[in-house]
Amino acid sequence: MTLRIASLLLAVAVAVAAPAHAEELRIPVLVPLTGVLALEGTSQRNGALLAIAHPPGGVTAKSEVADTGAAPELAVTALEKALDPGTPVAVVASMFGPQILAMLPIGAERKVPLLTISGSVAVTEQNNAYVFRFFPSDKVVKVAQAKYVVDALKKTRPAIVYQTTAYGQGGKAVLEDTFGKLGVKPAFSEGVDISVKDLLPVLTRAREANPDILVLQLHAPATALIIKQAAAMGLGLPIVSGSAIGQPTTAALLEPKELANVCAESASSPISGGSPALEKFTADYRQSFNTEPDAYALAQYDGTEMMLAAVKAGATTPEAMRQALATTSYQGLAMTYKSDGRGNMAHTAVILCYDGASRVPKIVQTYENIDAGM
Amino acid sequence: MVTALQLALNGLALGAAYALVALGFVLVLNATGAVNFAQGDLVMAGGYAAAVLAPLLPVSGLALLPIVIAAMALLGLAVSVLGYFPLMRRPATAVFVSTIAIGLVLQNAALALFGPEARTAPPVWDSEPLRWGDIVLSSQSLAVIGIAAVLVLGQAWLLAHTRLGRNLRATAQDREMAAALGIRVNAMIALSFMLAAALAGTAGALLTNQFFVTPTAGGALILKAYIAVVIGGWGSLAGAVIGALLVGLFETVVAAAVSYTAASALLYAALLLILLLRPQGLFGEAAGRRA
Repeated sequence: MTLRIASLLLAVAVAVAAPAHAEELRIPVLVPLTGVLALEGTSQRNGALLAIAHPPGGVTAKSEVADTGAAPELAVTALEKALDPGTPVAVVASMFGPQILAMLPIGAERKVPLLTISGSVAVTEQNNAYVFRFFPSDKVVKVAQAKYVVDALKKTRPAIVYQTTAYGQGGKAVLEDTFGKLGVKPAFSEGVDISVKDLLPVLTRAREANPDILVLQLHAPATALIIKQAAAMGLGLPIVSGSAIGQPTTAALLEPKELANVCAESASSPISGGSPALEKFTADYRQSFNTEPDAYALAQYDGTEMMLAAVKAGATTPEAMRQALATTSYQGLAMTYKSDGRGNMAHTAVILCYDGASRVPKIVQTYENIDAGM
Repeated sequence: MVTALQLALNGLALGAAYALVALGFVLVLNATGAVNFAQGDLVMAGGYAAAVLAPLLPVSGLALLPIVIAAMALLGLAVSVLGYFPLMRRPATAVFVSTIAIGLVLQNAALALFGPEARTAPPVWDSEPLRWGDIVLSSQSLAVIGIAAVLVLGQAWLLAHTRLGRNLRATAQDREMAAALGIRVNAMIALSFMLAAALAGTAGALLTNQFFVTPTAGGALILKAYIAVVIGGWGSLAGAVIGALLVGLFETVVAAAVSYTAASALLYAALLLILLLRPQGLFGEAAGRRA
């Protein structure tokens, strides 16, 4: 008994005598690590953790990771729990559209900035001053995808294949809208449920519409599968995919020759290199997580680094952080981030293409501030 | 015409893999009277087993298959020990809840062990696709059809012509009577789980080469197996195979004709019609016999 009391007193004494601990930033990282977006959510987590592990000098931070799964209510619960012991300066919030949309009202109510990399257009259209998106929205990347098809490749009869999830339908709507503005009517458009195994039927139907290019808005496994099956059936059409095939883990499912004539939109391609700082990020990421970084990881890394830089500059309260994120610009590794007044921080999209000889794509086109022009 | 034939062959290959899943589903259903909702996740586990073991073992895809089957049989035994036997005196609902839980454990174990990214497994044999005019059939599709046919026929032979098969059927028909006749009922039930997991694992290993595997891939497969069993006949092994082939053909031939969404709607409409007009399914026993 005496020993227990002594231990308790010692613990209290240690807690009282450790003011430095109170100065350490607590950064909740609430991302989907299971469910349909587990792959992308893991990249989001890794990007945040790498940034938190390498904060600017003078800043110390610790992460609190929670899995938001695939349901909006899990994300809301995770956020409520993260805000319980006291409001952190900011929260890294789920990239899954339905989840971040459900988290937004809580962020505004508790006045805490939410940093996300969701691509869903609606995320920054809720008149919410506390959301900051560090991945270009569909209004950037999907517009770039459509413009590359029409302006660069001069194609006029795209066949669109999309997933019937929120991700797929949201992107497809922007694609169709942009094609319309560019004076192009898709020759074919069909949704595919996420449970569908064989994609030969949709390829067969697409081919019958006589398209001149295949445009994809599919999740990672379906993207790899349709590219594989298109190669096997000798479809012979160029493919411009959503960002999925730009993820190294997705490209790894295919042989390099199957990737010939395949391009993709993305925010960046860390493995393609480009600067010593980017190459250091890629090396650190590989060392930390034993896998290749993708655009999602880099976007969340940049976003978290911007937040930590703001802390160093004196934004140590949630409101000061909101002000800093809303009004300053930040030169990240992928691009320059600056809010457009609605929390859209990323305005650059790139087009990556594979050469059929390797699984490392090359950036063939960059679209800057494309959302301002459409 | 060429396209239709091509799609029909693809549908046959897909249906053959589904048949293995559905067959295992019915085996456990008959042995225990309860639905094994972990069957889809066992397919996923088989896919991961093939994907993970392939780089470690310098053997061909065909030689890898028996290793995956053996590993999956052991996993099936574990499922029976953890998910069935502790609850065998409880209502059938307790067992299907426990199999759902086991499925979730398998999903999360796969996620924790192998990460969220999709994986692929080696082909059964690596060769050029078979070409017949404009029709192209991949060697893997042929392997799926061939191996599924061997396993389905092998299982039919086992059940019809061996003492072990008779014991399994006796256990499925009336456990108390089988026990009274000296049959080791619990061993037969455990064997049913092992066979079911082995069939699921085979399907997983075969499908993973063409369609990849992710930790959540099993969810859709259990639904397809369930539909196949309802169409074919609750408890009928032959019906499960026919039902699975129909599901495969709907997903390919019908989907190519009318779109995936319409094909799914038609499949569910057919399912409802069968439930309405012939509740026991196309080849099933009288309705209401099983939970």
